[in-house]
Amino acid sequence: MSNGQDFEEKERERKTRRRVFYTTLATLALIFGGFLIWKLRILILPIVVGALLAFLFRPVKDRFRVRWLPHELQVLCSFALIGLVLFFAFNTLRKHIPDEEQKLEFKVRLKYKLNERYRQLVAKLPERKSNAVTALIEKEVGPLMDKVNQALALDPNERDLFLKYAAGYNGKPPIQSKFVDYFRANQNTAEYVIPEKTPTSAASSTTPAATAPAQPPAADESRNLESKISAWILAPLIFLFLGFDNGQIRRFFISLVPNRYFELSLTVLDELDDAIGRYLRGTLLECFLVGLTLTLGLVLLGIPLGIAVAIGVVSGLLNAIPFLGTVIALVIGVGYALIAENVSPLIPGLNPNDLALYVLILVVIVHVLDDVVFQPFVLGSAANVHPLVVVVAIISGSLIMGLWGMLFAIPAVVVVKTAVATFFKELKDYRII
Amino acid sequence: MSARKFAADKLLWETLGRWKRLSPELDRIQFLKTVPFFDRLSNRQLKTVSDIMFDRSYDTDESIFEEGQPGAALFLILDGKIAIEICRETSTTRLAVLERGAFFGEMALLDDSPRSANARALEPTRTLALYRNDLNGLMHRHARTACQIYRSLASMIGDRLRSTNELVQMKISADTAGLG
Repeated sequence: MSNGQDFEEKERERKTRRRVFYTTLATLALIFGGFLIWKLRILILPIVVGALLAFLFRPVKDRFRVRWLPHELQVLCSFALIGLVLFFAFNTLRKHIPDEEQKLEFKVRLKYKLNERYRQLVAKLPERKSNAVTALIEKEVGPLMDKVNQALALDPNERDLFLKYAAGYNGKPPIQSKFVDYFRANQNTAEYVIPEKTPTSAASSTTPAATAPAQPPAADESRNLESKISAWILAPLIFLFLGFDNGQIRRFFISLVPNRYFELSLTVLDELDDAIGRYLRGTLLECFLVGLTLTLGLVLLGIPLGIAVAIGVVSGLLNAIPFLGTVIALVIGVGYALIAENVSPLIPGLNPNDLALYVLILVVIVHVLDDVVFQPFVLGSAANVHPLVVVVAIISGSLIMGLWGMLFAIPAVVVVKTAVATFFKELKDYRII
Repeated sequence: MSARKFAADKLLWETLGRWKRLSPELDRIQFLKTVPFFDRLSNRQLKTVSDIMFDRSYDTDESIFEEGQPGAALFLILDGKIAIEICRETSTTRLAVLERGAFFGEMALLDDSPRSANARALEPTRTLALYRNDLNGLMHRHARTACQIYRSLASMIGDRLRSTNELVQMKISADTAGLG
């Protein structure tokens, strides 16, 4: 009897020691983990992106099964296939990302075309309305045009650079004479648009150059870039090694779960994987459909295929950000439509001069299609998040991580929402709470 | 020269073979071969099944699952003893004591209907658990293996149904004789 009591006493002491040991260990692990995460925060985004890509492309990897091929080789092949597709997509996109010369040319063309449109708008007004409406437009739109002109104005350095490129610089052919004419015309535009405000605008047009903040040292910039690039090397590595994983990671985490919660954790993990996978892959498909529709629409409006694909890809990807994605698509599309020249729409009866209006209508149609057809069919109720939560999440995401934060805000909300709902449901089903 | 090369090759393969025989994975496959549930599977198929199983260890008196909980996995006993019991308000009825090589909770492979009894370890026990959705996943990747497991499950449920029918028949006959 006393032996039994001794044993029970020892067991109780052992349990207390074990609890203290585990609590201390967990606290230390939390502190150390938190410290590591803070110190290595630059790596978080590449890891998340790599893991997300691995998660998104897992069905492709699972489909790509050849019985006689070892698992690692199968993963490498599917990785190479995905890499090839991504490479071609980004290469197409990169060709249309403007370099220094094209940026300058774009600014000059946009400024010229905007002012041309503005002048046409004022000149097109019927005679009898002309006085009142012109005054109203000049009063309301004029200041806005003035600000746009200021934003698009080239600073003295940029002007010098443009003139250099105009004559042929840095191994590049000279800029078309038509655009050099635009540049010259732009020099007078600031005084032309709103004559009464000219002194202010002239003064302010010189201000940005005068008060432009000092550029950070080039060495610092290149060091930052280097560390960012080396951190981003992690993304494909994470993608690859998670692709190699054949359930070992899941088994490891499940092995840490106490026996009492074994079946519960399997069920929760599986339901989470299913729900989040459906949402993320649905979003990817939705973005693809939006990008494809926009590209087709732009091609029908006469925009060259390469540029239409580039606008479609960017707008499709940014469509993952609710509300803002459409606005960005609109800005890019209309921005290009304003500077596009010699466009001949494939749809008969369309006036090439009204291209910006057609692009605006196209973006609205694509947005409506997305809301009415793509989202309900592709996503169903997977993304059932209140609009207010969406807005707050996007703003919070942008404050924490900028554009990436905005991109990941809604998936993060969906993950947390699904995790909490599934976890509570299963805890009740297993009679734990 | 070739004889020496042959001897070296032989030694290498013997060493590799010895090393392979010592691996716990092979032990698991050997164990799975003895379980009637998987007796139709080849070594390669058993390896596939072994890869998706979870190794769990239980202390004496530790619960594996409880009556009424949704079922998610089948359990195979690697070592130790398990009691299958039904608890009622005042008493606990022990239905069976299972030992190494036995399996329980197989209905969980079909759906998540509630467990019909409690399972409790009577001594330190090691089990292998096969999760329902992993078996479903196997259906897409190794359809033949999954089909053979489902076939074993179906034939086992058929056997139990036949036994139950016989028991019911016997009970009805006994009741009729008692009334006569």
